[in-house]
Amino acid sequence: MAALSFSLLPGSLLRMHDALVCLAKFSDTVSIEAEEDLLRLSALNSSKTGYSAFAFESDAFFEKYTFDVDRYAERSRSRGEKFSCQVFLKTLLSVFKGRTGGKDKDTAVERCEFEVHEDPDETECRLVIKMICGLGVIRSYKLTYESTAIQHAIFDRSAAINEWSIEPRFLKEITDHFSPSAEQLDIYSENNKVIFTSFTTKITHGKEILRQPVHTSVAIDKADFEQYLANDGVHVAISLKDFRAVIAHAETARIMITALYTRPCRPLQLAYDFEGIRTEFTFMTAGEPGPEDVPTSSRPVPQLSARQTPALASVSQASNLAASRQMPPPRGRPIRPLTGTSARAETVEQSTQATIPPSSSLKFDSLFVPADDDRQWDVAGDDAAEAEAEDMLGWDASADLDNPDSLGPRLRDSEPSFGNPIDISHQDEMGIPPTQRISQLNGLGLFD
Amino acid sequence: MRFRTEVVNTATFTKLIASLSSLSKLCWMRLESNVIRFTVIPEQGTQVWAQLPVESIFEETDYTLESNTGVINLEVPLPSLHRALRSAAAAKWVQLRLTQKAKVPLLALTIRAKSRVKGEAALGTTTGTNQTEGGGPGEDASALGEEGGGLLNANANRERETFITQEIPVKVLHESAIEGLHEPRCRDPDVHIILPDLFQLKSISERFTKLATDSSPKAAAAAATASMTSMTGQGPGTAVSGVSPKLELAANMHGSLRLSIATDALKISSVWTDLVNPSLDPSQLSQTQIEQLPSERMRALGGDDEAGWARVRIDGRDWARVLSVGRMNPKVVACFIHETALVLYVYLPGSWNEEESCLTYYINSYLS
Repeated sequence: MAALSFSLLPGSLLRMHDALVCLAKFSDTVSIEAEEDLLRLSALNSSKTGYSAFAFESDAFFEKYTFDVDRYAERSRSRGEKFSCQVFLKTLLSVFKGRTGGKDKDTAVERCEFEVHEDPDETECRLVIKMICGLGVIRSYKLTYESTAIQHAIFDRSAAINEWSIEPRFLKEITDHFSPSAEQLDIYSENNKVIFTSFTTKITHGKEILRQPVHTSVAIDKADFEQYLANDGVHVAISLKDFRAVIAHAETARIMITALYTRPCRPLQLAYDFEGIRTEFTFMTAGEPGPEDVPTSSRPVPQLSARQTPALASVSQASNLAASRQMPPPRGRPIRPLTGTSARAETVEQSTQATIPPSSSLKFDSLFVPADDDRQWDVAGDDAAEAEAEDMLGWDASADLDNPDSLGPRLRDSEPSFGNPIDISHQDEMGIPPTQRISQLNGLGLFD
Repeated sequence: MRFRTEVVNTATFTKLIASLSSLSKLCWMRLESNVIRFTVIPEQGTQVWAQLPVESIFEETDYTLESNTGVINLEVPLPSLHRALRSAAAAKWVQLRLTQKAKVPLLALTIRAKSRVKGEAALGTTTGTNQTEGGGPGEDASALGEEGGGLLNANANRERETFITQEIPVKVLHESAIEGLHEPRCRDPDVHIILPDLFQLKSISERFTKLATDSSPKAAAAAATASMTSMTGQGPGTAVSGVSPKLELAANMHGSLRLSIATDALKISSVWTDLVNPSLDPSQLSQTQIEQLPSERMRALGGDDEAGWARVRIDGRDWARVLSVGRMNPKVVACFIHETALVLYVYLPGSWNEEESCLTYYINSYLS
């Protein structure tokens, strides 16, 4: 039986397609997560400076939505009662191809059914998509997926002291003035104007100067905003390409975009909710971080992360496969990797440091720590192969001691074991020393 | 060195830059006290020497030009300038000035645009809670996340103003860098004629070029083998024709213009008749001087005499780029120098003195 299944009517299908098209502008793969009451599609770009997520409410968006929570809770307790996987976006988008071919009304898609077949007993674990069309035509697709834990960007909305909302068409008008080769966008306000400036950080010399993209700045009235509650003179810079991707999607939904941010070099979030879809885009900003303005509200409040989705609280681990793909961001980049507020990230880091083997977790967490934090480089010196081995040990050992029977299927899934810090602390109670070496485990005879 | 002015004729300026940018990426822009010159000298292809009176695009009364020599020479990237000018399409006020930022000289284009906003009640709002119906009415704005909104009514039907600044990096050219550049000089033309509608001419030329290109794989292969087998060859023209089609343009002093193309596979031509051969200004030349001009000798030959035709061979693609100046809706006098060159005098329409605002295109003829 399907672990997760849902069906969509044409309207919702169109919305989901729009969301996938938008996600495709951030990454090659989309992360799919199912929880009891929502389905989340998200993508994190390769430099980890841009994150986008679409959460579809199970009751408002879907025609039918069933997710076998109990089974997940029992089978993979450590994964936090949810199903998560990654799918190659190009493949998924090709399923939607021809859907908009409106000419042939008779065989237009009437309903779309998604099913995830995942079970230890099944020979094939697949994401099955059925397009039920007119005249009894059914197109079905079986896609492979990668079972993995998902990384989310942390954003503390309550700490955001700057906020504005605007219709996307105004933003579209602004970005239309920018050169197609412009890379970044700086946003700030001054008196009654909000100024958007495109710029490029590439350095050019001599004759090359003439090839530089035009610097464009567009100033619009604050009155053009639905609301503008941001401090004057606060410059935040984000990638123009990401910004354009959000505007393009918001235009399809014709929905007001809200931006939230604290200060430069802290994440900025663009968000909007409509028709049972909660959309959020979190981007790392560049700029001059004023040393004086550390607002009290940006202090970490542990429970706030739960206000987002539970998964956001944990800088989650991914499978070895994912881990090997996740490269640390290049150092010299003007935009730094996404983090929560820095203090927040530190808290996460400290807690993980205390509870789980440092080799795997720290290395991974470090990706979400500001680039100027030297500590993230501490473990980087580790031999990669060794780190990987220890990474495997981390969860294999726990699975082993916790429930030896589960070892087989878990190995097959190559799933990550840490859903969130709670489970980690639980493992701690189980008496697994955080620095257990693979040599120690050999004695158990399971790996011989 | 200072330069600041208001652009009053944005449309003309944009079209001019667009026409020039189809020929080259760079342009030498020479600002003088009463004229502006644009010169395009691509590595290959047509040269353009344009001269416009200041008032044809800029505001005469708001034209500041300060320099030791009284002249400012700039090297301007045309595609960037063209893109920047497109922002000015709906502008109420446009200013162009020379400035610098971090030692990079810039042409800064400041645009003030106005537009009217229609209240859009159908637009949904970002509410903190889930909104089941798409496009809730404006009242929902009060439910906005943390802070209450409610400016929607104020937004309805109001004039919005946008300021756009486009900063185009340019190079200031020293007088020594440009003293070696001179406008080409040619002998008196054999035939001068006013070209027919440029759009028509352009589409027919492009059609001819395309036909020749489509048949070119065969033609090129044939030409290649021909030149391989007989080393004596028929001249470079034959071998090249397959690669980039050459159009033959010919005209006589009896109002006829002929456009033709010939490849191994096809031979087509199009003839215009009853065009005007403009008379030369009698105030500049004496009657005897006029009579001695080659064009008068050509006029003496009959309309049906093949010797009365002056011919040039031009690159099809380059010609199409040249004809993009048709967007300015100009009057074009084509001067044929038989088998040597084609010179186009492009006069912009408008109230200003035609003699002063002229774009001169110098097109070399290929050997046949």
